[in-house]
Formats: sequence, structure tokens, C-alpha cells
Amino acid sequence: MKRISSLTILTLFCSLLFAQGDSGANSFFASNLKIFVPVGVLTIILLCIFLFLFSIEKRLKKLEKEN
Amino acid sequence: MKWIYSTWWKWISVVLLTYVVAGSFFVPLGPGITKVSPLGFYPDSVYTFQINTSHAHFLSPQAGKVQLWFKNQSSYFAPISFKVTSNTTAEAQFAVGSSQQNNFKPSNFDVVLNDDLDGTFALRDAITLVASSSTDTSFKSLLVNTEPEVKSNHHQLVCFPYREILYETIRNTFFHVPMWFVMTMLVFASFIASIRYLVNGKEEADLLAEQSVIVALLFGTCGYLTGLLWAKYTWYIGVSWGDVIRKLLLEDIKMAAALVAMFFYAAYLILRSSFEDAAKRARISAVYNIFAFVIFILCVFVLPRLTDSMHPGNGGNPAFSKYDLDSTLRMFFYPAVIGWILLGFWILSVLIRIQLLSKKQKS
Repeated sequence: MKRISSLTILTLFCSLLFAQGDSGANSFFASNLKIFVPVGVLTIILLCIFLFLFSIEKRLKKLEKEN
Repeated sequence: MKWIYSTWWKWISVVLLTYVVAGSFFVPLGPGITKVSPLGFYPDSVYTFQINTSHAHFLSPQAGKVQLWFKNQSSYFAPISFKVTSNTTAEAQFAVGSSQQNNFKPSNFDVVLNDDLDGTFALRDAITLVASSSTDTSFKSLLVNTEPEVKSNHHQLVCFPYREILYETIRNTFFHVPMWFVMTMLVFASFIASIRYLVNGKEEADLLAEQSVIVALLFGTCGYLTGLLWAKYTWYIGVSWGDVIRKLLLEDIKMAAALVAMFFYAAYLILRSSFEDAAKRARISAVYNIFAFVIFILCVFVLPRLTDSMHPGNGGNPAFSKYDLDSTLRMFFYPAVIGWILLGFWILSVLIRIQLLSKKQKS
């Protein structure tokens, strides 16, 4: 579980680094009338919520084990 | 707290968010001019300007007559010739004599287009007349001052408004903005729960207060990260990430204030974990929570309005709701706000149920 979440976080950072290398007007996010910015925004929200849900599940699993 | 066990409102959230996420990406952007070239021109010669647009429908049967004007301050000038070259591109010829060049100050011209389907759309300061000292007296003036006559200024399409700089990111209205609505609602729920705990001392209310702050922080983090990405590609194109974060936190009051508000709630959770005695923890953190809510309101709704910021909703910048939200945006914005709020409370209900279960096991 920890491995998956850290992998997801690292993937997220990877895309940020990619944007940093090419942050001019021709970068990936600035292309096509900036359509990839809302796509990125939605991805961030979903990733945050999914990571949170995984952390809740971890708590639940602990409870189930104690039972 | 029966509401945490019922399902119907969770389904509403599913339906609304599916509609918002899918629908908002299917609706195209409205017509707009992306590029006019050349950018500058000299007096005394005829120039052919290439006009590129996005999402225009010049060749559609409903478009009718396509018209174009060059606009300087409040006067409109007809092109010498105008030709539609494809559904989204057009060509227009225009010239200004050197004897007239002093009439245009500032010497920027807007390009204004109109057809029956797309309505009126324009690119502000699209081309610039570059002053020239040499005069060609043989050049006959071709400038025609006109009064534009159009069927309608408004488009006949289902589309989101095309705005320069924002472009497609206008869709973030349904994702970034509701995050803060969810956070505000959850924090408000926590505030009410804390008051209820102080009034009747029920453990349930204390649990609700604590868990809603956790979910509120989740949505606050989402709002912050999404805002960071949106800000970078709206205000800070070509600025490195480090500088973007520094500028947002130091130069923009809204970002700094929102972060302070979030820290206050993070401190609430830390405060809770520092008590051994459950009753004492519940009582003191309830009092703290009431103060935290007041500070949240001050930081997020009052402080940013006192000074200027690039963020809409502050100082001289109106918020979306007042002037910018058109009917198509509204069609998705309100469902998005309700859908995300319900999702927030859904996550909250799951958290509360886990906590109730663990309490039951302990006793």
C-alpha cells in the first residue's frame, strides 16, 4: 500500500518536473488553448481523494484485524 | 446522525458529478480570435491580414453574412476587402494613409468579427500601426468609417465563453472553485457541531466536529494544488515552479490567507492529539474550533477583499458569480458545487462510521 501511494506521488512530481523543464508558452500545459490544465486539475483532485480513501481503508483494515 | 447511513444523497452526488465531469468537457469553447498576422503595419501600403479563429462557424448555413471591422477606440473601420478562407479563418485588407496616422493614438486596432451563428467576437489590440516619418502623398486614403450593423451580438451556440489567457481553463470553474465551497461547508458543519457539543455535551457532536475538519483539510489541499497549477498557466507562464510558489505566497494575499486558515485547522487536529482526557479534549478543542472558524471566515472572505490581488473575488477583481458567469457556465457550476459538497459529506460519513465502529469495539 505504502509503495503504491509513494509511487503515485512520485508520478505526480514527475509531471511537475516535466513542466518545469519547459515552462514557456509552448509547454505541454499551454498547448491547445490550455485544455490540459483542467485535465491536470481534475487528475490532482482525483489523486488526492483516492490517496485519502486508501488511508481510510488502512484504518478500517486495522479495525477488522482487531475484531 | 441518521444521515450518514442513508444512500439517496450519495447517489445525487454521483449523478451530478458524472454530469459535470463528462458534460463540461463535451461543451466546446465559444468562438474567439486566436491570431491575427502580421501584428504590426506601416502607413501608406495595403496589408493583407490573416485572421485565425477557434470554434467559429463561418461556412455554416446559419452563419449568414460574416462581417469584420477594425476598431480604434470607439470608431469602426471597414476592411478594403474581406474574404472567408475556411470555417475558422479569414483574410482582410486594410490600409492607413500617413496623413491620417496621427488620428490614431493609441495606434492599436481591435479586430471585430460578427456572423449570425457566432455573434460578435473580437481580439483586443490585435494589430498596431507603426508610425512612419516618410509620407507618400500619392497614397489615396482607403479608410472607411462605418457604423456596424449586426443581426445579433450574441451567439446561438451551447459553449463556454472564450476568454483570452484563460481559454479552456475556464472549465476549472467546476473543479477548483467548488473545492473551497466544500471546505467552507465542512468547516461550517464542524463549527455548528462544536457549538452543539458545548451546549449538550454529546460525544457524537465532538466526533462530527473532528472528522469534518479532516475532510475539510483534504478539500483545502485539493483546492490549493489545483489553484497552483491553474495560476502557473494563467498568471505565470514561463516562471519556474519555485518562483510561482514564492510569488503566490508573498505577493498574493488570498493565497497566503487561505494557507493561514488551513494551518489553523491543522493546529486544531494537533491540539486534539495532545490531550489524554477525552472530555477535556472535546471541550477545549470545541472552544478552539469556534475561534478557528471565525479566523477562517476572516482569512478567506474578509481579508482578501481589503487589498488587490490577481485572484477573482478580491479588491478590484470581481468574482465569477457577479459578471463573468454566463448561462452555460451556470448550467455546470451549480450542479458541480452541490455534487462536490455531497461528495465531501459522503467521505465524512464514512470516516464517522469507522470512528463509531472503533469506539464500539473499544467499549
